[in-house]
Amino acid sequence: MATKNKTLRRNLIALSLIAPFTLTFLLVFAWPTYKVIQLSFTDAPLIGAGEWVGLDNYRDLLGDRLFWIALKNNGYFLLLTIIPTTAIALAIALAVNRLKGWVQALILAVFFLPYILPVSVVTLIWAWMLDFQFGILQPVIEFFVGERVAVFRDPYWVMPMIAVVTIWWTNGFNVLLFLAGLRNIPQELYEAAALDGATPRQKFLRVTWPLLWPVTALVLTLQLILQLKLFDQVYLLSQGGPFNTSQVLLLLVYREAFQQNDGGYASAVALVLFVIIMVVSILQFQLLRIRGKR
Amino acid sequence: MIRTKTILAATTATMLAGPALAQTEVVWWDFLAGGDGVRMKALIEEFNEEHPDINITATTLEWGIPFYTKVRTSAAVGEGPDIMTYHLSRIPLALEEGVLSPITDDDLEAAGLSTDDFFPSAVDAASGPDGTLYAVPFDIHSIVLYYNKSYLEGTEFLDDNGELTGIDSLEDFNRALEVAEENGSENPLSFQTGGEGGVWRVFYTLLGQQGGQLIEDGEVLPGDNTEKATRALEIMRDWREAGWIPEQAEYEASVALFTSGQSAFHMNGVWEVPTMTDMAAQDTLGFEWGAVQVPTLLDETATWADSHAFAIPVQGEDEMSEEKRDAVMTVIGWMNRNSIGWADAGHIPAYVPTTQSDAYQSMEPNATYASLADTAFFDPRSEIAGVASPVYDTALNIMIPSIHGFFPPEEAVAQLKDELEGAMD
Repeated sequence: MATKNKTLRRNLIALSLIAPFTLTFLLVFAWPTYKVIQLSFTDAPLIGAGEWVGLDNYRDLLGDRLFWIALKNNGYFLLLTIIPTTAIALAIALAVNRLKGWVQALILAVFFLPYILPVSVVTLIWAWMLDFQFGILQPVIEFFVGERVAVFRDPYWVMPMIAVVTIWWTNGFNVLLFLAGLRNIPQELYEAAALDGATPRQKFLRVTWPLLWPVTALVLTLQLILQLKLFDQVYLLSQGGPFNTSQVLLLLVYREAFQQNDGGYASAVALVLFVIIMVVSILQFQLLRIRGKR
Repeated sequence: MIRTKTILAATTATMLAGPALAQTEVVWWDFLAGGDGVRMKALIEEFNEEHPDINITATTLEWGIPFYTKVRTSAAVGEGPDIMTYHLSRIPLALEEGVLSPITDDDLEAAGLSTDDFFPSAVDAASGPDGTLYAVPFDIHSIVLYYNKSYLEGTEFLDDNGELTGIDSLEDFNRALEVAEENGSENPLSFQTGGEGGVWRVFYTLLGQQGGQLIEDGEVLPGDNTEKATRALEIMRDWREAGWIPEQAEYEASVALFTSGQSAFHMNGVWEVPTMTDMAAQDTLGFEWGAVQVPTLLDETATWADSHAFAIPVQGEDEMSEEKRDAVMTVIGWMNRNSIGWADAGHIPAYVPTTQSDAYQSMEPNATYASLADTAFFDPRSEIAGVASPVYDTALNIMIPSIHGFFPPEEAVAQLKDELEGAMD
């Protein structure tokens, strides 16, 4: 009897300890997710319930030209950001790692600073710097391509420039991750390699790179998820234009829901994006792990 | 002891609040954050002073989608304001959302107004398909043609009084641009060529001047409207190719091009009139200016227009008390009768007696361009049109690249049709 009481008490304590998190999770994540799934099968407006329409929203989605354009643009943006941002972050981390003391802290802070800025500030800074009439970067562009370019109104420039802004903004965090990874590599390994007469190149390829792989895999996966959720920069810089060359899935969700009052259809698009992110990121992480184990 | 204290405190509070008890509180939301917002706040203050029994508590929210989203969500649960400003171009969307409480004849009577007091075009825009009134118009705002006299002096385009004259066709206007260019104006016609607002307003004006319609019987650009839309885009592209309009100018830059004396002409909303008046008064403009209704460049006289109006949102499941509704209608009536204070912001009061008053007739250039109210060409009556709508998006997404030569106008119009038809169903 006494033992039973004790177990009960322990279970109750355990329950009360996890309750705050579980309840919050259920309230702000599980419940909305369930509602999104439910809404995606209805023709609901933004507010209020709708009629059950079965798979109609998904059928419309497959025939929606904008959906495919947005999907393609999301893919293009991944190509433009993931590998470059990882490579740049690694290069910066390697360089910063060679510095010592307060210089290192200072340089690291400089690279990390953009990351703490809100996205609206970031986009304002870049929109000013790239302003067609008055931007200070226009002479640079003029020097290289021979004329001024309204970058966020040009179909060829818009996505690469949004990628540049995004990399500048978010790279500091990746640098930090890489730096932590670098510091975890025992110094003895480098000493041993030096004794064996390894060149700096060999040290990097045989010691640093393999031992840093778990961090690289993490950065790649985090970036994949983050960049698939692209919205703010596009919304603030190009609004999806010109002629949909920067239209992305989340912008489509926003337009359908808040502009056109199609809560049901917007939920369907959101859910598809959710599934894409989940599948792609799990797949990628598994693939990278297999590579890492080899 | 504690209880006695509380009662005492409560009594004192009640006594202090005594006179205010008879007051009806009217919660007001608007999206007027610019120069016109200052003028609106002055009107509200004046109203509160004159009406001890009604107190308006005003909040200014962000213009565009944030405002309209907030209105919709709050109205659905009965937490919305008692009165709000509303764009009449959004009425079709509002009806679909069911956020507006109809304005009855009794309401109008309580306000001391009648629909005959307003410009008919504004009343039409404020009514549903069945003729029910959903908002009370407050102004008509449109684009006008600003001009810098220094580039036109000694040409046939200024009459003896120094007023713009002789522009009765597109050819005339193009010649005027050419003359201004020869006289040293770099981009003789400035408007917001890099943003949806400016491009849409000019495009829609040119479409209207051909008698075209963007949406008719639920179809986008049916029949020869397609050609008319193409023609409108062609005109704008030709202006760009000739270098007469600036490349990708954002809103502020387009205004600056005119106020700094570089552009001879400027097509923009009446709301910039105070900017010019103030600058001229402070002697910072550096040239003589004027503003006229956009001339008839094509077959008919027409100018894009929208309208600010007052609307009462639904209160969720509840009904607004009669007392409060009377107070709200009193506010609306008073605002319209005192809309001369609003005309100062450049807008044309929708209340006809104000525009006929001597005070208004002596306001320049407002009285000159007020004639445009008769031929105002409102945004299409559709749930895909109006401020912050898919139609505005296509201006940004399709029209701007086409004007700048990324693809031909025919293709742009085909894409526009495709996109808007997609948004309709």
